[in-house]
Amino acid sequence: EFLGMKGLRGQLGRQVADQMWQVGKRQASRAFSLYANIDILRPYFDVEPVQVRARLLESMIPVKMINFPQKIAGELYGPLMLVFTLVAILLHGMKTSDTIIREGTLMGTAIGTCFGYWLGVSSFMYFLAYLCNAQITMVQMLSLLGYGLFGHCITLFVTYNIHFHSLFYIFWLVIGGLSTLRMVAVLVSRTVGHTQRLILCGTLAALHMLFLLYLHFAYHKVVEGILDTLEGPNMPPFQRVARDIPVVSNAVLNTTAKAIALTL
Amino acid sequence: MSSFEQFHIDFYQSNYTIEDQEEGCNSYGSDKNLCESRKRQAEEQPAGGAFVPSDMLLSPQSYSGSILQPACSPGAPSQLGYVDGFDEEPPLLEELGINFEHIWQKTLTVLNPMKPADGSIMNETDLTGPMVFCLALGATLLMAGKVHFGYVYGMSAIGCLAMHALLNLMSVSGVSHGCVASVLGYCLLPMVILSSAAVLFSLQGTPGTVLALFIIGWCSLSASKIFTSALAMEGQQLLIAYPCALLYGLFALLTVF
Repeated sequence: EFLGMKGLRGQLGRQVADQMWQVGKRQASRAFSLYANIDILRPYFDVEPVQVRARLLESMIPVKMINFPQKIAGELYGPLMLVFTLVAILLHGMKTSDTIIREGTLMGTAIGTCFGYWLGVSSFMYFLAYLCNAQITMVQMLSLLGYGLFGHCITLFVTYNIHFHSLFYIFWLVIGGLSTLRMVAVLVSRTVGHTQRLILCGTLAALHMLFLLYLHFAYHKVVEGILDTLEGPNMPPFQRVARDIPVVSNAVLNTTAKAIALTL
Repeated sequence: MSSFEQFHIDFYQSNYTIEDQEEGCNSYGSDKNLCESRKRQAEEQPAGGAFVPSDMLLSPQSYSGSILQPACSPGAPSQLGYVDGFDEEPPLLEELGINFEHIWQKTLTVLNPMKPADGSIMNETDLTGPMVFCLALGATLLMAGKVHFGYVYGMSAIGCLAMHALLNLMSVSGVSHGCVASVLGYCLLPMVILSSAAVLFSLQGTPGTVLALFIIGWCSLSASKIFTSALAMEGQQLLIAYPCALLYGLFALLTVF
């Protein structure tokens, strides 16, 4: 019996269903092995620790020679690890400042922000580079932007733990500026024409610096307390926002104080 | 010959073999029953047969009588279709694949990250130890007042998938999901020590941060040591240790906060 059909019809029905399942499974496995083959990414993960360290340090040093196209390492291990590090730093910052995310989870927000920036801005810059006739491939763009996040990681790691407001601005300008200059110089060396260079590099510089600003102010609530107390010469270096005392206990406190004052 | 082995798996094993029948039985005039019974008694192990008379289903190990009489051998089990008797079944732990000696050896390897690891210890996928350590982590977190079992399981699952993808991309020989899950689970043991420390004193402070960093380093060093020795990736231990450190850092965040 098969789905209510007895005898020969049931048997036939079962055989037809089996055959359709086999054919469907074969087609699905063929499509999966064709498109979900991660082996095509294998050459981009073939690195040595020395190479990764060298590239990390190089990402903070702007190149001087912009008349000759600069070499970009098409490697994805370093950028991927830097994005994950940024996620971890964001999570740590959110946890230490007791940030509450109302719609969603902390982990989801951090991963979405960092991966969204890396993949989204890379794709947008690749599209602009295609419009401006720059010689850069998608993997190179991903790699360049990923290594540019190294400056972000350092800045956020320091300023999420040491809450000097002016310190953040110094780090933003110096470290953020250095990594932006490096990316801009590499792009300029690969683009011809003044207008195209201006469009590409202006967009990249604006997005990169604004992202660091956004990360600092959106994910570490404690900073808002500092902004309120910026007046006065003798302000303490760090202050937390005061917690609201509920109205009931406030009233109780007031009546208790009045009662004690009356009895004294 | 191979089809007989196929029947061997699906069919009930009997002592009856077609080849012995063809070899030994020369005369067609002789009693067929005598021929079969002589062959069967001489055989030690049961072999696959294409033809199984229904009477033979009742006597698995030895065949004492002729085919026409109902078999009444003393050692026959009551259930049809089982190869071994109740006394010859393997012990339960062996059937489940739990080997306490191996589990202890792997635990000692994790606890001492400076000792060079043997590459063959991860040949068998053993998920009992990791399961116990995950439960222990959840239990110690529970003792500190945090009910985070779901987070522990979710983060281990996603972490295993991510590490599996990364290791497959970075190593010459591939690695299976079970091996990655096994290694990552075993190296979770120092995190259990951190969460039991969290029961005694709060980790949100400088000594807590230092202890958490030390434990993260310990976990990731052990995991990367086992991975590099099992996958023959010398020189890339730091490259493997960093993603492991990020994963165990997430567990530490769960424990500390």
